[in-house]
Amino acid sequence: MRRESLPPSSRRDFLATAGAGLTLGFFFEATPRVAEARMPGVAGPPANTQVNTWLNISSSGVVTLTIGSSEMGQGSFSGLAQILAEDLMVDYSAIQTVQGVPATGTPAVGNSIGTFGSTVIRDNYWSMRQAGAAAREMLVSAAMNIIGDQTRANYTVLNGVITYTPTGTNISYGLVAPAAALLPVPENPPLIPDSQFRYIGTTVNRVDIPSKVNGSAIFGLDIRLPNMVYAVVIHSPVFGGVLNGSLPGLPPGVTAWVPLSVVAGTGRGTETTGMVNAVAAVGTNTWDVWQATLNAKLAWKPPANASTLNDANFISEANAALTSAPPYVPGGSNLPPTVYTVEGNLAAANAAIAGAAKVNSVQYTLPYIPHNALEPLNCTVNYVPGVSCDVYVPTQVSSSVLSLVNQMTGLPLNQINVHTTYLGGALGRKIEVDFVSQALQVAMAVGKPVMLMWPREQNFLRDQFRPMAVVQASAGLDTSGNVLGWSYTNVSPSILAQRGYPVGATGDSQATEGSSALPYNFGVRSTQWISHPSPIPVGFWRSVGMSINTFAVESMIDELAALAGQDPYLYRLGLLTDPRWIGVLQAVAALSNWSAGPASGHGLGMAICTYASSYVAEVVDVSLVAGDGYDGQPALFKVNNVWIALDCYLSVNPGQLQAQLVGGMVHGLNAALYGRQNFVNGVPQWPNFYQNRVIRGDEAPQVAITLIPNPEQSNQASAIGGAGEIGVPCLAPALANAYFKASGKRIRTLPFFPTALMYGLGDPGVL
Amino acid sequence: MSTTYTLNVNGQNQEVTVNNPEMPLLWVLRDLLGLTGTKYGCGENECGACTVLMNNVATRACITQVQSVVGKTIVTIEGLSPNSTHPAQLAWIANQVPQCGYCQSGQLMAVASAMLAGNHGANIFAQVHNVCICGTYSRILQAVDTL
Repeated sequence: MRRESLPPSSRRDFLATAGAGLTLGFFFEATPRVAEARMPGVAGPPANTQVNTWLNISSSGVVTLTIGSSEMGQGSFSGLAQILAEDLMVDYSAIQTVQGVPATGTPAVGNSIGTFGSTVIRDNYWSMRQAGAAAREMLVSAAMNIIGDQTRANYTVLNGVITYTPTGTNISYGLVAPAAALLPVPENPPLIPDSQFRYIGTTVNRVDIPSKVNGSAIFGLDIRLPNMVYAVVIHSPVFGGVLNGSLPGLPPGVTAWVPLSVVAGTGRGTETTGMVNAVAAVGTNTWDVWQATLNAKLAWKPPANASTLNDANFISEANAALTSAPPYVPGGSNLPPTVYTVEGNLAAANAAIAGAAKVNSVQYTLPYIPHNALEPLNCTVNYVPGVSCDVYVPTQVSSSVLSLVNQMTGLPLNQINVHTTYLGGALGRKIEVDFVSQALQVAMAVGKPVMLMWPREQNFLRDQFRPMAVVQASAGLDTSGNVLGWSYTNVSPSILAQRGYPVGATGDSQATEGSSALPYNFGVRSTQWISHPSPIPVGFWRSVGMSINTFAVESMIDELAALAGQDPYLYRLGLLTDPRWIGVLQAVAALSNWSAGPASGHGLGMAICTYASSYVAEVVDVSLVAGDGYDGQPALFKVNNVWIALDCYLSVNPGQLQAQLVGGMVHGLNAALYGRQNFVNGVPQWPNFYQNRVIRGDEAPQVAITLIPNPEQSNQASAIGGAGEIGVPCLAPALANAYFKASGKRIRTLPFFPTALMYGLGDPGVL
Repeated sequence: MSTTYTLNVNGQNQEVTVNNPEMPLLWVLRDLLGLTGTKYGCGENECGACTVLMNNVATRACITQVQSVVGKTIVTIEGLSPNSTHPAQLAWIANQVPQCGYCQSGQLMAVASAMLAGNHGANIFAQVHNVCICGTYSRILQAVDTL
């Protein structure tokens, strides 16, 4: 998900408070000042001053960093502490990282403390550094006042100790922290030069990993409260269906049934506010209430349009829209399907293509894909009416949870505590708060602390899916392979429209990312997006539209290279001028030894994209496996190797960057091979991991990564790139391109194995 | 009609009372005994997040009925070592394996089982079929290569 809709803060504000040593509250760059991270045990900021990260240095010298964003495996707590340690001149491993609690004064809270869009490190890097430098200089100033020598050059700082060099006197941070808190915050404290970095650019161990090898890390489902009851949810099997009839009796272990309605602001697509589309069973343990939901004879009334909610219909609607959808009208209702011009001019592009020597005009089709975070959706609520509400939840946007609880309970914000737990994966689904609203409804109904969970099947069936898409792409080449015209139209449902965000003349940014401003020399180009009318709920999914458009664009480039009779690598190089694109392309070609060609029976394919200010190129090696093909599927193959080159401008923790790239790549591989949800009369078809397969360890390709080296001296004018999502988009096209080389068959419809329920890669019949 | 069983978990005998003798061990551990290190991922023997040792053999707790484990020894991630010093745990830290961490209890118990059976290195890896959505497989392989 991109954060371009949120205006960056032009100010860099710090707030110093006294009372518990030196405390600095500061604002993350791209986040509006509408929420704070409240530090446990430290008084909040003055009214109307809200911050989202706190740094505290106690009088005993303990450095505590309280972070508003969420830890879902990307290692950002560690990364932020690592950045802070650099300019604060403390030992990284001594920094305590604490999950912040969003809270605020009177203003409404928006999506202000959120973890998405690969933003945590790239948006907060300079703020974190300046916070460290500001605190350091305040501490040094306090030490100067004790020593009585105001010459800054006479002081050095290392590992939380200030040394007065003329005498060798050492003063610890803790000793001067209370006095430092009374000093003004410096405007432009000097930053450590890159040449003197001790931590940035170095792989250090993550702070959360020790708790993740012994079972002590607390995820959402691990919360245990006194008198807590368990609730398990079951939804209408058909999207748009509502409860019809009475609730069943109470089997052993079940103490209540609670009908659940869609709360304003949480429903998507078929889910309209107020409809009772789910029921929770409540009782003394998860198993009993879960079984009750499965055994209950619940009656659901399907919606009138159920018979239209079919995959075949979605595809025909897309094709009809390609030929007959009306254009966007400013101020008009622009109901889907509507054509949005993202860039260029369709008529001009078509004319250029019509006059070309060679033309490639094809369609790419991508399915709805569910999220598959291993930790299911869950939320625990302890609500005391009129007094307080504590919510324990693995959320990507704790401030949205705060807003929702305020909306549903009417409690003042300062009586609501949102405790963000570790997230057992999120992948974009935990941006939403529908499950939080359900937990609150149950808590209100039963008057006890409640842990609410969606069993796995509900997660796969009642997801807010990555949108399906049909992409019509056409290009015309001259006899040398130059692209004279490029026409690209993506038809897909709008994530933003389903959330009530306005969609302007250039369309839904989530749908169009990766389809426009492409760096290739395309001659005359046209990029369009057409809103698809399907009401199936859609949502953010690791790299969102970039994963859709990169598959189509990078497959198309490969097809054009083939049409021109050129090597896909050299063909791309010939169409590019931007040195950063060329840089990662050359790096991945070198890493994969591209010019040597694939081994016998293998195929190499590549793809390239830019996302979150990072540039990535991937090469995939596949080999066909004997006994090709079954059930009309493509030939079975093995994914042997993936090579990745990344240019993110500045690498903070290379080891974690690599982990994120590999993780993104595996996510892309799972999706390319198996990712899809299908619909029959509004009923999603694939409920669990048996039908939503993912690769196991023995199927994981070997990976090698090149990181473009850090600049000698970084500067704030150059954007730091994110890494949380960029591993994803290139995998599918690189895989399809490699498969084409190996088999001669072009895959334009994903996933590779849409009906494979139990077949492993190249290993049929074995799970 | 509730039933009470005595289970041996992490070296201790504990009584649990269930409404249904078919309740899987996973929920007994998590909801009745408060041992939350063992995770729920799929509930149908697919993902392995719930892996525990039963009589020293990796067992998927989500499909193992509580009535079937009476008289057997159960070890969960909390009981794998007293202070995170099992060789696999040390290897996991040394190789910085976890990302979100949700599957790693199960991964570690599956690895521990393979080690108890006398396997080393890649032979351990070949016996672990647990799902990791974060894609930590290559680091798991690195880690078990040291075992």
